[in-house]
Amino acid sequence: MKSSCFTRASLSSILQPVFPPRSNPGRPVFCSTAVRPKPRTPLYLRPPAFRATFSELQKWHIWAKNKATSVGPTFSDLDNGPDSALLHRELNWLVEDAVENPNLIRACLDDTAPVWLRACLEELYEVWRQRIEERRPFQYVVGCEHWRDLIVSVEEGVLIPRPETEVIVDLVDDALKRNEELRNGGVWADLGTGSGALAIGIARVLGGRVIATDLSPVAVAVASYNVQRYDLQDKIAVREGSWFDPLKDVEGELSGLVSNPPYIPSKDIDGLQAEVCKHEPRLALDGGANGMNDLLRLCNGAASMLRPGGFFAFETNGETQSKILVDYMDAKMKGSFCNTMIMSDFAGIQRFVTGYRT
Amino acid sequence: MDLGQETAAVVEASTSDGLTVEGIIANNWIIYDENESDWKSHAAAIAQSIHLIKKRLRWKKLIPRLEILSEQLNKPDLWDDPTHAGKISREHGSIMSKMKEVNGFEQELFEHIDMIKLAREENDSELELVGPHFSLSRHESLKALHTLRSNIKEKELEALLAGEQDSCSCFIEVQAGAGGTESMDWASMVMQMYKSWAERRGFGITVVDEMPGELAGIKRATIKVDGEYAFGYAKAEVGAHRLVRISPFDSNKRRHTSFASVAVIPILGDGSTRVQINESDLRIERYRSGGAGGQSVNTTDSAVRITHIPTGVTASCQNERSQHQNKASAMAVLQSRLDQLEMERQAKINAEHTVSLTDINFGSQIRSYVLHPYRMVKDHRTEYEVSDPDSVLEGDLDGFILSFLSASLDKNKDDYL
Repeated sequence: MKSSCFTRASLSSILQPVFPPRSNPGRPVFCSTAVRPKPRTPLYLRPPAFRATFSELQKWHIWAKNKATSVGPTFSDLDNGPDSALLHRELNWLVEDAVENPNLIRACLDDTAPVWLRACLEELYEVWRQRIEERRPFQYVVGCEHWRDLIVSVEEGVLIPRPETEVIVDLVDDALKRNEELRNGGVWADLGTGSGALAIGIARVLGGRVIATDLSPVAVAVASYNVQRYDLQDKIAVREGSWFDPLKDVEGELSGLVSNPPYIPSKDIDGLQAEVCKHEPRLALDGGANGMNDLLRLCNGAASMLRPGGFFAFETNGETQSKILVDYMDAKMKGSFCNTMIMSDFAGIQRFVTGYRT
Repeated sequence: MDLGQETAAVVEASTSDGLTVEGIIANNWIIYDENESDWKSHAAAIAQSIHLIKKRLRWKKLIPRLEILSEQLNKPDLWDDPTHAGKISREHGSIMSKMKEVNGFEQELFEHIDMIKLAREENDSELELVGPHFSLSRHESLKALHTLRSNIKEKELEALLAGEQDSCSCFIEVQAGAGGTESMDWASMVMQMYKSWAERRGFGITVVDEMPGELAGIKRATIKVDGEYAFGYAKAEVGAHRLVRISPFDSNKRRHTSFASVAVIPILGDGSTRVQINESDLRIERYRSGGAGGQSVNTTDSAVRITHIPTGVTASCQNERSQHQNKASAMAVLQSRLDQLEMERQAKINAEHTVSLTDINFGSQIRSYVLHPYRMVKDHRTEYEVSDPDSVLEGDLDGFILSFLSASLDKNKDDYL
């Protein structure tokens, strides 16, 4: 923290920087009982401990706006990235999260009037530079993603939950409404939970418990943090490990199973927009040669893990994968599943496969 | 329900010597400044206010309406349909309280006049009379008339906003007319005008939907305006707004005429009957799909558009930070649009009692803003005009709004219609 960052109290000692270390080579891959990485507090939840003057904040805001404008259609032409309009909207949200009273920015205050910030101005310059120049995802910049009616904490090393995945919660809700047996509780699982968004989303519509698993210790830490923030520790258990490995104790007993596994074909990843391929964890994206490695594994596992009548919903890369998956279930795993269906996302892409264990 | 009270409303109130509100107005007493201690001047001003308020409230229609409502309230099976019953009893209560208030003003006016006359007959300006009714001196009666005069002036304004939905919050929607960038720029100026206006009035503002133009301005935008009487005021702005200026987008510096249409939709309160929407009648789509979507794309753009298939009504939202919230906001807009359609349908059915402002067409031109060759803003409905367009575009709209509201309610020559 630079000396010009005036702090209200000695709070800076408990605040972590907005930009974390890029990598942590010393971190072991499996560490279920070892010390977990400490999740970052989203910007909007930090105390407004930094003071700046109104004119300093204005100056930053104008600089940031110009930076957003300078992008024009460059990124969207290059790799379908954000255009200026979208970056301007993100800038408004950054102000919303970083400034104690965000309406001030539109007010006409004295140049020297104090404004309170949740990160010091130097950080705000730095993170917006990262957003534009390094294409660091906006959600990592502010440390959270608004997903359904939740605000989910995210950070580097954890997949940012996508709006498409919000629909899975509706699919589960619909299944519960149609199926009395499912309403009677039981244990559900969210595999490859990442930030924990989906697990939290379904826990809030379910009566029963949810077990969320992830191979990544960072994801396990972040998911646990989010579960705590929504006070769902009693309903959601976060376990570390690969797919069904941490679920041996509930084999054949799951009432429901949801997952947004990695499904992008390996060769496609480098062509994705910079926000995704340069910053998000490959572990959460790469689904192998045709992207189906993990989906097929989930399929096989679902047959043994779900109880009869248990429900499942998986997200896929789109029409091709959804069809392959349904064919696989109906032909290769004949008799294991029934009522398999392909459901579309809001963009009309055939995104989800749902069904029941026979 | 006290029926005596209701019939009292029909019998015209008067002073002890038979002077009525109409009588006072017919006397043509000169109205002086309110600081002049002249009881006739006060009485004439109060009588005019009462007259105006009754006109604005459609007084003569209130009485039969109240009778119909009382009849329904007395039906034993009324509460079999609680929503309907609630609506009836609310309307009944609202009319009763309006009538009671105006009748109270009348009564007060006549009492003070009686007092003053009586005191004069006694030829003693400071005489204290005996009995509870005559405990005020002439001087105090005069003072009371003065207070009544300024109180009732405020009520005149309130009576402008006596419509059923007037107290609601609302959505304001601005849409650019034909003419490309020039119109889109104009649409964004109009939207900015409403944001400033709402801010001045202390209303809360949320941008629900904004579709930017390719080069400048907006194709369309919707804001939510939160606050008491937001709809009552904003409804006066419905229609097409015309701009004449030298276009900053025309390299040849020619004069251009552009249009922007304004729609205003009330957000009904919880107690109101709202249109039931079937989930199966909706088509929900991402407004701008990001290619493959899913894990391949990380965009903070989660705009949603909802179409109500049976009516073709659509609503969209893109300013919330999650798709779920965008959908919820779009649903709120859609709900209000469908409610408004239903209200318009109902209004056509009971045209006789509804104060309908919906005959103002969404497309009809209501106001011109001329920046060149001269500078003026003129309302075509009321002829109200202002020679400083900048102040209007900065949100100084109340003059236009109030003159329109009074013109539309006061225009009827027919008394109290």
